[in-house]
Amino acid sequence: MEKFTKEMVDDYADKLLIGLTEEENKMVLDEFNIIDSDIAKVMEIDNIESVEPMTHTLDDFVYELREDVIEESVDIDDLLKNCDDYINDEVRVPKVVE
Amino acid sequence: MTKYKALIGLEMHCEISETNTKVFSSAENSYKDVPNSNIRPVDMAFPGTLPVVNKEAVKMALKASMILNCKQPEYMYFERKNYYYPDLPKGYQITQETKPAPVGIYGSLEYECKGEKRVAVINNLHLEEDAASTDHYSSYSTIDYNRAGVPLLELVTEPCFHSADEAVAFLETMRSIYQYAGISEADSRKGQIRCDVNVSIMDEDLDESDINNWGTKIEIKNVNSFGGVRDAINYEIDRQIELKESGEYDKMEQQTRRWDEDSLSTIYMRSKVDAIDYKYFVEPNIPKYKISKEWLEEIRKSIPELASERKTKYIEKYGLSDYDATIIVKDKLVSDYYEEVIKLGGNPKKASNWLTSVILGHLNKYDLEINEIYLTPKMLFDIMKMVDDGKISSKQSKDVLYKCLSDCKEPQVIVDELGLKQVGDEDTIRPLVIEILDAHLDLIEEYRKGRNVFDFFVGQVMKATRGQANPSLTAKIIKEEIEKR
Amino acid sequence: MEYMSKSIEEIHEALKSSKVTSEQLVKESLEKAHAHQDEYNSFVTIIDDAKATEVTDSLLSGIPYGIKDNYSTKDILSTGSSNTLKDYVPFFTATAIKNLESNGAIGVTKCAMDEFGMGGTGTTCHTGTVLNPWDKTRMTAGSSAGSAASVASGVYPYATGSDTGDSIRKPAAYCGIVGYKPTYGMISRYGLFPFASSLDHCGCLTRSVKDAAIVVDGMKGIDKNDMTSWDSSDINLYESITGDVKGKKLCYIKELCDINEYPNANDELKSHLANFMDVIEKCKSIGIEVEEVSVDKKLLDALASVYVVISCAEATSNMSNLTGFIFGPRGEGKNYIEMMKDHRTKGFSPLIKRRFVIGSYVLQAQNKDRYFHNAQRVRRLLVDRWKELFKDYDAVILPVGSGPAKKLEGSKDILDESTKALEEHLQIGNFGGFPSITIPAGFIDGLPVGVNITGNCYDDANVLNIAYAIESTMNYKGQIAKEVRHD
Repeated sequence: MEKFTKEMVDDYADKLLIGLTEEENKMVLDEFNIIDSDIAKVMEIDNIESVEPMTHTLDDFVYELREDVIEESVDIDDLLKNCDDYINDEVRVPKVVE
Repeated sequence: MTKYKALIGLEMHCEISETNTKVFSSAENSYKDVPNSNIRPVDMAFPGTLPVVNKEAVKMALKASMILNCKQPEYMYFERKNYYYPDLPKGYQITQETKPAPVGIYGSLEYECKGEKRVAVINNLHLEEDAASTDHYSSYSTIDYNRAGVPLLELVTEPCFHSADEAVAFLETMRSIYQYAGISEADSRKGQIRCDVNVSIMDEDLDESDINNWGTKIEIKNVNSFGGVRDAINYEIDRQIELKESGEYDKMEQQTRRWDEDSLSTIYMRSKVDAIDYKYFVEPNIPKYKISKEWLEEIRKSIPELASERKTKYIEKYGLSDYDATIIVKDKLVSDYYEEVIKLGGNPKKASNWLTSVILGHLNKYDLEINEIYLTPKMLFDIMKMVDDGKISSKQSKDVLYKCLSDCKEPQVIVDELGLKQVGDEDTIRPLVIEILDAHLDLIEEYRKGRNVFDFFVGQVMKATRGQANPSLTAKIIKEEIEKR
Repeated sequence: MEYMSKSIEEIHEALKSSKVTSEQLVKESLEKAHAHQDEYNSFVTIIDDAKATEVTDSLLSGIPYGIKDNYSTKDILSTGSSNTLKDYVPFFTATAIKNLESNGAIGVTKCAMDEFGMGGTGTTCHTGTVLNPWDKTRMTAGSSAGSAASVASGVYPYATGSDTGDSIRKPAAYCGIVGYKPTYGMISRYGLFPFASSLDHCGCLTRSVKDAAIVVDGMKGIDKNDMTSWDSSDINLYESITGDVKGKKLCYIKELCDINEYPNANDELKSHLANFMDVIEKCKSIGIEVEEVSVDKKLLDALASVYVVISCAEATSNMSNLTGFIFGPRGEGKNYIEMMKDHRTKGFSPLIKRRFVIGSYVLQAQNKDRYFHNAQRVRRLLVDRWKELFKDYDAVILPVGSGPAKKLEGSKDILDESTKALEEHLQIGNFGGFPSITIPAGFIDGLPVGVNITGNCYDDANVLNIAYAIESTMNYKGQIAKEVRHD
């Protein structure tokens, strides 16, 4: 297991497209160390690896899939009223290049 | 390349075009020119919106899964694939991963390549959503979210193809399946089909079933036509052989490249080391869904006859040639048209002739789909019937058909307008024949000497009747009248 | 005559008998909201043009209430208390709010909260800290901070909240009121800005159990826009409250409640647990059987980290739509990446950014099994254990937190080793989607504390009925916050 380092925290933040201060970086590591030691304890639980991860809140939930019926499109003015930059009814962004 | 063999795997994305609505939203699933006009709030990821799974899209996905002989899961899950891109409004794509199981896993499909049967090995088939479409201008890009959320089937094969021909033959088979099963128009011109291709080469004499003998896998992203797939594979095989020959191959790292349509070459994008970690996890907003046995059975029963089955039927039951049968089933619309004519009572062989010799030529010439022409299966049947009933000659019938196509009028109307009718009654034809023979006594002599002037007499009768005389009857009467003399 | 400090039934009665009009109620509520805002900073928006509604047979008709700011409200600013959405005006209303509207309820405020619900202090709202109406030097807890403070102050009888770990039930305890989150999916989450989708619940803050039943009756219902919602039309919570608790059985957990589990306990914790035992005695006095049970300490010790791992992972994904492209202030930059980064760096508070990093780390392919999947495994073990308890008991009763509201000074929203299971056990209610209600249960140094009753999924009526009976043994029903001073 590779240890979570300050550099890694910055790298993660960068990939999340957020900036962190030095202090925030340290707080992440402090909090993370607690989690890491808790998880280490969890791994001591007998047969923990055989437990199926719980992905949904109501495990035994029964429901119907949606019928294939069209609902009207939202008005274009509503769609764009919170958008700071659009042109010809489309959202505008700086040129996206591969 | 005798010394090497290529291992080629495909990831084929195909939009499901035949549902009414998108896969996780009830916005209309159809192409629209007006930007942002097929939008429900979740399609632009407004805060608080949630995905709601379209039953019909799941049904079509399961149908495809069955056709591919995949295993269907007991419970269906979706997962989030997290990455940032302007065309992905939520910041993640809802898709399926192999664990938990997607709509289809571990299948196989028989297909034909250059007349030989092959088997493609399917790793998995999953249902996911398409991204928005982006337009690029000189200084900016714009995003239209109409396509965001359109259902998409991604099919992943094992590296089971050995040539571009095989890969393309498989893709064509898949396209036909999507069309025949009523899942998608599968039209790459509309951007409905997109492929990623992976290619590696290995020494010809090594055992392919041992994974350790495989070469370095190169993935080629975003190949958007079958022609592109062929070119990209061939280019990549050549490129890799060159590397091999020059001793550079072993230095090549696993990487992603893209197919560049302009330079007709693959271009380096990123190394495997820089691969994006998509941080997959199970989508909590879509509870796991129990796929009942009853529903699966119902779906299985709804799978229509596919191209391969129709082809066999055309050959074995209708007596068509392999060539004609292949041509007819190639396009589902054409095959449906053909089936319709036969259902009405048309002779299968004659109907096939009409299609392959006349109608398909017309479609090619004007770049039309068969459902875009005025001539319906019923009209074709009517024309065939008029000939069979001796009401018009087969020569006339071609004129009627072309006129029907060009003037957009019912066959009967055209027949009436042109005053076409086949002169089928002996009392009209016999005096004409006698008159013509009388005028060409010299030719009767020639005929008796063995010169072939028979057609001349028939032609004269046709001329006199403006083509309306029944040719076989005419010939019979001419023969009788000559013999009388 | 003041009405906003009364119960919903009383206000409804007054409206029905024309002692007061809906217009007068709206006026009173808005005035109180402004006065409250000046003191405690509970609101992002006070809806000054809120309109009175017709009084019908619906108990909620004509009566003002507060809306947590993470509920999408059409044509009304909805920020989630985040700078990333500081000017966002939605074009659609959350289903739960729509349901209240169709009952004639009148939203008069949008309540401040810890940014997007990710916090338990009420200090990370983009409009500043919300102060506790019992003691301004203390936190309200969060994230439904403004909702709790304003209901406790008597601005209106109730406010909506949302609860991912304890965001309704903890501030309710710290503010001396009732906080209830029903079974997962009873109330649609459509239009609720998500924090962690598998843990997020809608619910309400009120001053009595009966009011909580009335409000959730008005919010709930299956919704075609939320696949996790279910049909509860055969459940009427208000009508099922009888107060009859004959034969009911509760349990509490030794490892959390026994003072001997805390060798270094301070006076506050001692009083808190002693107070809890008093409540247990009161339960017994009305015929409820209560037993002590044991739960594996390993599971309890892990629960806080399990919560952080799962909630951060889901949150970092859920908030990936906050890019500033379609809504929210557009960031500056030469390309889309710079623009997003600028938007997100300026828009999110430090707490959220930290949690994103953790959430992202635990989802990385090489870490996912160790952190995320193990957390999901412990989640299952805890839920299974609670479900086992529900075979023998109607509900689990536990103290909320380790005492009353904490001081704002020196507060930090970070896991604290010693009492963390006691502080965080309400999260089990979110792990399992259990119906869970906090009611006020006494005072320590003049500051309110609460107890929580959590039952099995779909058993909301039973849980509320028990809570109602326990509430009736104490004198805190309907209480309005009175500032206390002790320095």
